[in-house]
Amino acid sequence: MTRKISFSGAINEALHQEMERDETVFILGEDVAKMGGDFGITKGIWLKWPHRAYDTALSEQAILGLCNGAAVCGLKPVAELMFADFVGVCYDQLVNNAAKLCYMYDGQASAQIVVRAVTGGGIRCAYHHSQCIEPWLMNIPGLVIVAPSNAYEAKGLLVSAIRNPNPVVFLEHKLLYNTKAEVPEELYDIELYKAKVVKEGTDITMVAAMTMMAFAEKAAKELEKEGISVEIVNPLTIFPLDKETIVDSVAKTGRLVVVQEGPKVMGYAAEIGAMVVEDIFEYLKAPIRRVTSLDVPVPFAPVQEDYVLPQYDEVIKACHEVMTF
Amino acid sequence: MALTKDRLWKVYRDMVLIRRFEEEVEKYAQNGTIPGFIHLSIGQEAAQAGVVEALKQTDYKFPDHRGHGAIVLSSPEERRKNCMSEIFAKETGINHGRGGSMHVNDLDARNMGFNGIQGSTVVTCLGTAFDSYYRKANKMEGWESDDRDLDVTAVFMGDGTLGEGTCHESMNMAATWKLPIIYCLINNQYAISTHYTESHPQKQLATWGEGYEVPSFTVDGNDIEAVIEVVEKAAERARKGEGPTLIEFMTYRWQGHFSGDPAAYRPDGELEAWKEKCPLVLAKKKLMEVHGYSEEELDALHAEVEEEIQGYVKFSLESPSPKAEDAVKFVYMDREVEGR
Repeated sequence: MTRKISFSGAINEALHQEMERDETVFILGEDVAKMGGDFGITKGIWLKWPHRAYDTALSEQAILGLCNGAAVCGLKPVAELMFADFVGVCYDQLVNNAAKLCYMYDGQASAQIVVRAVTGGGIRCAYHHSQCIEPWLMNIPGLVIVAPSNAYEAKGLLVSAIRNPNPVVFLEHKLLYNTKAEVPEELYDIELYKAKVVKEGTDITMVAAMTMMAFAEKAAKELEKEGISVEIVNPLTIFPLDKETIVDSVAKTGRLVVVQEGPKVMGYAAEIGAMVVEDIFEYLKAPIRRVTSLDVPVPFAPVQEDYVLPQYDEVIKACHEVMTF
Repeated sequence: MALTKDRLWKVYRDMVLIRRFEEEVEKYAQNGTIPGFIHLSIGQEAAQAGVVEALKQTDYKFPDHRGHGAIVLSSPEERRKNCMSEIFAKETGINHGRGGSMHVNDLDARNMGFNGIQGSTVVTCLGTAFDSYYRKANKMEGWESDDRDLDVTAVFMGDGTLGEGTCHESMNMAATWKLPIIYCLINNQYAISTHYTESHPQKQLATWGEGYEVPSFTVDGNDIEAVIEVVEKAAERARKGEGPTLIEFMTYRWQGHFSGDPAAYRPDGELEAWKEKCPLVLAKKKLMEVHGYSEEELDALHAEVEEEIQGYVKFSLESPSPKAEDAVKFVYMDREVEGR
């Protein structure tokens, strides 16, 4: 049975249901137990399982280190980074440990951990609470980066992330927490490493993730009125990317617009663009367009933050541009 | 604590084994057969052999990057040669040549391996310690009994490592939750070229534990009996859920930081003075003077170890290199990465 629940409620439900099913799953992080998380995502877990929810000191390195060691022993930690920006503090544990433990142990053990990280801008919290960190981690073989864009995806992808034998960074965009969608009550999973064709189309392939999906869907409707047919692809797993689905789509449409919240330089938009040019250059009818943030930190003043983040008009403009070829 | 005659004999043999293991590694690193950086622990054998001796096989060990000794002694005898061939970058290496000197691990022996980043394992070790803590708290399968002791995690760290922020985070969390960790701080005096008194305000680094209410001890790291005594006490505490212990073993590394470093930063005479306190000589003296072993008996022990070590070396030299294309294996547990 489905009913409409919020993105944050969906994550909370996934945690409850998966913890019910598997006693090796536990949560830890700053204020995740008694308080139920700074954003309320883990509420109720400590009450139900007082020995499976751990409030920690402000020690991201210790949190991630504990996850890695516990995972090698067979536990399945789900850690919360209150803001994805704090990855900077525990980068070593993600990059030099989590990502490499499977390699180091010849597949005998791995860091089966989930790091839930609250990502993205738009809440006027400036440059240390607003960043998109996926490019920081995309250069690290061994990691998996997952990014849901609605409550349905959030629940199913988190379940898959917890069951996935690799270290997964699970990106939760703070602006999505209150958005609602139809979500089944029962436990379900959504395959990782698989992009979703959200809407089929014939003229332009638009790749977007997380909050950018709203831009993509709105733009597709608006452009349809002009007779431009947009195919929307959501990678869901940002890394490793599902090359096949994206490339197949662009081979069909011949045009690519990638909408990405973070800065332009070396983001996943760049990677997707390179991937497409490398693979199916001959199918391209127009240059690739990237709609992204400016290459600056996220500022505080609302007018400035809005200016830096990708803007809807740019999405429309990019689509018009690729259609001129 | 005086060890029994047999036990002292056994750990003396362990120390001789490490010494000879490392000398051979040094030889083949110098002549270019072993690639990469090699960090030796000659002079520090008592701290490594003593810690491993004081623990159970089922306890978790995180060796440091000067940890060949702890690594070899943790492995069962039949896999010790594979520890050496790993350092030789061979397919028969315990990690198929993937890790080399700095990363030899043996999960079955609960040797969790080292990490090229100082301080990194000092937080990773929280997790192995947490594992039994969690299983016991949740009365999971095999842990239903309140009497079952926790598994101990021993993490080796150098005096230089104490400069890393992870040491604070780890000790703070371990002390708060009373996790079963033994912080084995091998104070060999130098972090590469920097003497510990030049990078830390404390005269004895063990005093650092006081701020965390962690029982802390400084012992003579060249005296194998002292090492075993203090680690056994710490392990007992840890197993009962009484929390972590910090032990500083005062010792000295005879070589430079890596094989080939002439260590010109050390004052004249310092190395010679420490050589007088060689842990092997100290133990040998006790074996002869207290326990009445003869020179011939000790020679026989040395000859036996020598044969064993030469066996490892021969095995390592004769083993094939891993296949280049195997480099793409095990990046992920559940998916392949494309090769060339």
